[in-house]
Amino acid sequence: MVMKTRKKVMRNVLTYGILIIAVIVTIFPIYWMLKSSVTVDSEMYVARPSLFSTGFTWDNYKELFTQTHFSKALINSLEIAGITTVCCLIISIFGSYAMTRVKFPGRRFFKTSILFSYLIPTAVLFIPMYVFVSSLGFYDNKFALLIIYPTSVVPYCCYMLMNYFKAIPYALEEAALIDGCTRMQSLLHIIVPIALPGIAVVATFAFTMSWNEYLYAMIMTTSTEQQTAVVAISSFKYADSAIWGRIMSASVITSLPVTIIYIIAQSLLISGKSEGSVK
Amino acid sequence: MAKRKMSQTRRDRRFGFVLIIPIIIVIFGVMGYPFLRAVYLSFTDKVVGSQESFAGLKNYKALIADPIYWKSLKNTMVYTVGCIGAKFLLGLLLAVILNQSFKGKGFFRTVLLIPWAIPGMVVATTWRWMYDSTYGIINSLLISAGISKVGIFWLSDTNLTLLSTMIVNVWRGVPFFMFSILGALQTLDKQQYEAAYVDGAGSLRQFWYITLPSIAGVLGITTLLSTIWTFNDFENVYLITGGGPLYSSSTIATYTYDMAFIQNNFAGALSVAVSVVPILLILIILYTKHNREET
Repeated sequence: MVMKTRKKVMRNVLTYGILIIAVIVTIFPIYWMLKSSVTVDSEMYVARPSLFSTGFTWDNYKELFTQTHFSKALINSLEIAGITTVCCLIISIFGSYAMTRVKFPGRRFFKTSILFSYLIPTAVLFIPMYVFVSSLGFYDNKFALLIIYPTSVVPYCCYMLMNYFKAIPYALEEAALIDGCTRMQSLLHIIVPIALPGIAVVATFAFTMSWNEYLYAMIMTTSTEQQTAVVAISSFKYADSAIWGRIMSASVITSLPVTIIYIIAQSLLISGKSEGSVK
Repeated sequence: MAKRKMSQTRRDRRFGFVLIIPIIIVIFGVMGYPFLRAVYLSFTDKVVGSQESFAGLKNYKALIADPIYWKSLKNTMVYTVGCIGAKFLLGLLLAVILNQSFKGKGFFRTVLLIPWAIPGMVVATTWRWMYDSTYGIINSLLISAGISKVGIFWLSDTNLTLLSTMIVNVWRGVPFFMFSILGALQTLDKQQYEAAYVDGAGSLRQFWYITLPSIAGVLGITTLLSTIWTFNDFENVYLITGGGPLYSSSTIATYTYDMAFIQNNFAGALSVAVSVVPILLILIILYTKHNREET
């Protein structure tokens, strides 16, 4: 009996020990990002910066919005990610419905194509895509991203939505179809409302995917007018040398909302179904 | 009546096709066409803005003779294998721990997800700042703790730069493994363990003979998916070291970028990208097959 409790205590110590180390390692970079964004320069650029800040300031945030083009970049990000999400969702809802509910030849081939294109990485595609989109005349233009992002967002959305649609019992739809509903009516009035929570989660992920995307955004937008938020952050680097306060405050603003949304969506997903991941 | 039925299936067919037309355009038009054209262009002397002419295997011959290409390929392999190994083990460990029942489980689960939720670009930038050799907090802590006298040159020591980028990739990628594995663990049947316990099998043996085999499928799929992403990780390496110094941390992804936008050699860059397509195709086909068996 004593042996057993001792074993249990050991196990608890080990569990919490490992978890606490993991939490510290996880939290630290985030803490450092937040701390650097509100620390005065005189304390930032010293040979051995201390862990805790004494010189608190909001200046980095104020300068970010008054002296840089960051607010414009945020609007660009919002615009691009918003339009991409809405368009991709519409395309994907129709497509996923067809691929899970309607029998037509070549269905399997298209399903595999979707999975394939979900997996083909940006690093392989970005030069071909750059050549292609520039040849269409979209040079240094944020709207080029509206052409590019669906190539990764649509396959992802379909991949997720097909799983949701598959889970809806066919009997629900069959009754409506026999009653004379068209396919379109059954999709819009039966399938979509049932899958709505799932669709909301997928929309969140689609939005964060576009919002966070860096490589394409960097090569397709060069002027400050066209940049998205993530590109604007990295452009600060070349403007000045000691601007880490500004970079960190921009990082906080760019990542905070999407991080919170993402975590909420992910926990919804876990409580519902375990499937799901985003690049 | 029969005629009506026929027309229903026919209507269905047409309807199905119409619904997926946008997807066909996106996948085959916007993605497939440039990709195939890229394969073709890698056999030419393409420069952006000018007409290309066929150059045969010239770009590929140049690649084979290019030591930086081989260096980048080797780095990519080290990066992928090292990061995947670390993410796998840490993810598995944390998933097994989180699968127990204890106080504060929900809190730990949420906090440990955060690295995956933050934009990769922001993660890389923050670490770049922490790695800074003079003002960085990591060196400051190492010196204070007496581990290092002058600090470690994370971004300039050519023996370390690749490792510096790998640490960040692992930091961000562990939650993905952790959550996938946790999802699989939660579906396991408790009765198996009770039976094993009655038979006198200890925790380690239970883990080895019951847990591991039952989650093998998910482990495989997670590893494959993450391998594809890690192999092609661009922003992490690019934003932390830029592939340098002296190409010490250059990977296939950053070298492709370097060739295209720094050296302005588009055809060469395309041949770098196309050269790893066979490896990726194998991984993707494996994943597709695996995925079909799982679902």
